[in-house]
Amino acid sequence: MDHTREILTFQFGTYANYVGAHFWNQQEANFRYEDESDQVAEEQLPNNDILYREGLNALNRTTYTPRLLSVDLAGTLGHIPVTGELYGNFVQRDGELLPLGTGEELQRARQQAEESGVSASQHLDVQEQPQAPISEYQRDLLKNSVAPEKNYKLAETANSWADFLYARYHPRTLNILPGLVRDPTVQALGTYSAGTELWQGAAFNDEFCDRIRLYVEECDGLQGFHVLFDIDDGFGGLAVKCLEHLNDEYSRASFALPLHHPRITSYPQADSRLSHSIRVVNSVLSYNQLSEQAAMFTPLSTLETIWRNTNLKSRSLPGIQWQADNLYQTSALLAAFLDTATLGYRLRQTPESLLRFCERVSPSGRKMTAAGMALPFGLREGQDLIEFLDQSGDHALLTQLTPGCEPGTSYVMQSVTARGIPAERLKRPREQAGEQLRMAAYGCDSVSHMLQLYYQCSYHGSVTNAAATPLPLKTQLPFPYEMFSVGISGNGLRLPGESEREPGTRVDSAPMLAALQNSTKLGEHLDNLHAQTHRVQLAKLQAHSNSGLERDDYETALDQLLEFRDLYADSQYL
Amino acid sequence: MASISLLNPKAEFARAAQALAINISAAKGLQDVMRTNLGPKGTVKMLVSGAGDIKITKDGNVLLHEMQIQHPTASMIARASTAQDDSTGDGTTTTVMLIGELLKQADIYLSEGLHPRIMTEGFEKARDKALEVLDKVKIPVEINKKSLVEVANTSLKTKVHPALADLLTDVCVDAVLTIASADKTKPVDLYMVELMEMQHKTDTDTQLVRGLVLDHGARHPDMPKRLENAYILTANVSLEYEKAEVNSGFFYKTAEEREAFVRAERDFIDQRVKKVIELKRSVCDGTEKTFVLINQKGIDPISLDALAKEGILALRRAKRRNMERLALACGGTAMNSFDDLQEEHLGYAGVVYEHVLGENKYTFVEDCKNPLSVTILIKGPNKHTITQIKDAIRDGLRAINNTIADKALVPGAGAFEVRAYNELVAFKDTIKGKSRLAVQAFADALLVIPKTLAVNSGYDAQDTIVKLTVEDRLNPELVGLDLATGEPMKPVDLGIYDNYIVKKQILNSCSIIASNLLLVDEVMRAGMTSLKG
Repeated sequence: MDHTREILTFQFGTYANYVGAHFWNQQEANFRYEDESDQVAEEQLPNNDILYREGLNALNRTTYTPRLLSVDLAGTLGHIPVTGELYGNFVQRDGELLPLGTGEELQRARQQAEESGVSASQHLDVQEQPQAPISEYQRDLLKNSVAPEKNYKLAETANSWADFLYARYHPRTLNILPGLVRDPTVQALGTYSAGTELWQGAAFNDEFCDRIRLYVEECDGLQGFHVLFDIDDGFGGLAVKCLEHLNDEYSRASFALPLHHPRITSYPQADSRLSHSIRVVNSVLSYNQLSEQAAMFTPLSTLETIWRNTNLKSRSLPGIQWQADNLYQTSALLAAFLDTATLGYRLRQTPESLLRFCERVSPSGRKMTAAGMALPFGLREGQDLIEFLDQSGDHALLTQLTPGCEPGTSYVMQSVTARGIPAERLKRPREQAGEQLRMAAYGCDSVSHMLQLYYQCSYHGSVTNAAATPLPLKTQLPFPYEMFSVGISGNGLRLPGESEREPGTRVDSAPMLAALQNSTKLGEHLDNLHAQTHRVQLAKLQAHSNSGLERDDYETALDQLLEFRDLYADSQYL
Repeated sequence: MASISLLNPKAEFARAAQALAINISAAKGLQDVMRTNLGPKGTVKMLVSGAGDIKITKDGNVLLHEMQIQHPTASMIARASTAQDDSTGDGTTTTVMLIGELLKQADIYLSEGLHPRIMTEGFEKARDKALEVLDKVKIPVEINKKSLVEVANTSLKTKVHPALADLLTDVCVDAVLTIASADKTKPVDLYMVELMEMQHKTDTDTQLVRGLVLDHGARHPDMPKRLENAYILTANVSLEYEKAEVNSGFFYKTAEEREAFVRAERDFIDQRVKKVIELKRSVCDGTEKTFVLINQKGIDPISLDALAKEGILALRRAKRRNMERLALACGGTAMNSFDDLQEEHLGYAGVVYEHVLGENKYTFVEDCKNPLSVTILIKGPNKHTITQIKDAIRDGLRAINNTIADKALVPGAGAFEVRAYNELVAFKDTIKGKSRLAVQAFADALLVIPKTLAVNSGYDAQDTIVKLTVEDRLNPELVGLDLATGEPMKPVDLGIYDNYIVKKQILNSCSIIASNLLLVDEVMRAGMTSLKG
């Protein structure tokens, strides 16, 4: 079939929108325009039509926007009007930016309203709220004068994902929850059951389901859904209900990505103990439903573990430093993973599909998978992949991004995607090969082939699917390029010895590796969760939320969680 | 010292008079915000958010939703007003005004030492009396176009410009009358009136389509754009090749085997398409008739191609609710399988055509034989205008439906409030004890409606009230305020009517909420504060 196999993306919750913002920024950084000469082969480029849609705005200009539905609290959008910035229908409050966008002048909007007869007389009473501040980066972006060498200090100043979003959204994309305002200290939408209730409310449901339908109607060969959501708060309930709706209505594969905040979450009117209970119960209920509704789900966090992690001990990636609780930086890492891991079925002319991808790494009901990533890849400048893999020895290439689990190195089902390793860095040509000739991997002719062989040798009894593209991860603005340590060169390779990158230069792109893994050891992740449930004060929780959490429902969910865990019991199973 | 402070020294509390003051000031505050919106001459508010989102409204309910209300008392009043909207669709501003005024009037007596309990007892008596008056003054109506137009027009004139209100009134009344049962005794199902919006730069128009407008179109370039004399097949059958179940990978040994599997699955879908085509041939061949397929499930490009070759217009992913509407508008049955397709399952429409606007496509299904479902098409230059018109239409439809349910109307323009005031003042003298003061307070509070109407139109409040009350005593018929002249007039003559149920609901809910607020003698705020980590 030659038509596009579209994917519709969902983002539920603030952190999900952070990750999403970086994800879409990455997509657009990789756009190729026709006049650009490029050495990357056509079939190794991502097919953007899978995630994007073409449209036409009221000014008859063509738009190209993510096929995305995002839900967030009021107050997170910052300067972005709810209808997006491409299709008009809003007032541009900033005089300086007025001539540049599709926004209207206030006076003009007012005049139009009077002409169209909606105001009963000449009494049109304009009430303006204070103008939302607009970040320096966004201002420059709108003026089309972003200086690549300017330091916008986004890590310190970004207040919301809206501040660093390069991509522009369709008017259908953004949804604001009725009556909930963002509070930076607590989760306004606290509990899972509050989320499910919200889904059932007509105020949200009708409009949202209609938007899904409109997106799906446009698709010729919809293959499935990416669902990113915050699992720590009530957005979990919302996302799970949405998954249920998607299965009922469209029966396509959905790849769910529950995201854990890299912070200690607190909830309105709850002390730390109760907060812990809320969080555990939210996870239990979400996991239970995910194991039924999703084709595959992969919990993501940059933290080492999400339970009892009071000093926010973070995972570490060699060559990168970040602040453990910085939303802007951590979400960029998760987005880099997501982009790379999903590249396999998003390339042009790939026979791979989302459904097959999911089935391959989540056999026989083991729907939860773990994420691993190597960013930067670790390749030294001047080193070939064959040498690098040879010298890595037992040292694991990947750092885990799924909290509290290590898939181990035996009986692993995995799907590995490498990017940014050019073909000429695979191995040296025969006449200069020297040592390399004696290595078994010298026979491999492609990056994916070589990785496949590497994992065949170093992982016992495992099945690996490797894919590769020479396209590196773009790490220019608005990616948090400042995370890279000085020992990394401008193209993301490790510099030999103690040498440092020239001061003032930045890392523009980096090769990386991302993997989705499944093994018996993932059961530990579920055990960890189950262990936390012993301390849950259910009675107190019920009193707290008033939002219909039934003891029976919770206990059924716990039982089912244990049943789900049993799927991971057989250690020899592949 | 309140007992709570023994248990929790950090608790904040306010007692008796202080608590009452808090409640009254909140109610007054809310009243002040909403005051200018009341009536046809009230102002329209254009809300511009920090990011530039525009919302135009004068609907009290919409405004209350927009203002993120934090004050507990204010949010309680706001909820009463929302409930008012949910049950009747009108009178939200009046609710807020009246609760505020009841508390304000009560405050005068309470500050002189009257106990709140006596006050609320008096309110109860006064409310019962007022309801009695309401029953007395209501005018039974025959359900015909004239009476429905009058009530809808009264409601709509308070929301939009008179010229637009007249247009919308006609549209709303026609919509309801088209789908109402022949004897017009039962209220209609308003879900069967679809509101479809179309953003068009230069065109502001609202029209009734006796049929359906769908917000999507054909996805194949060769499909016809316009069909006349069309059979309509509505279905909920998937016409796309897709492995439906998540874990249904098939197993094969050779590439040929795999091909065979794929072909077999594909064939399954092709069979369904063939059945549609066969039916089309059997009913259309040799006649002038054409064929339209509207499917709730998907249709993939290959199926579209096959259908297009036959000249069938096929739409995919129709709204679930539209399936029901289609059956009512065009006749026929929505099919869940193509196994036993017959001509009797098909609906009929005189004309089906596509309209493209920017990136949006619309499909009109019109000229139905006996449509029991209709569409109101709203065209406007921008989103916020459309939303405002949509809100107004919703209220207009509700007003019409209320009338059909009540079979009675109440004269508007503040007439009922003035009459109730006069009756209550007379009633007061029959009551013994201090609760007669409360009846007086209730009577005074009712006058806030005509007063505000007068003020919003630029007339003097006292002047108007004196004129109106005197006129009302002299007249057996009800007397309201003419906003054009500021003089008393007979609303019946001008055709200004309100819904009976709306007034009844207002009287009930306002007196209850006001009584509850008056009886509060302690407000406290205590409990766990969120621990910030």
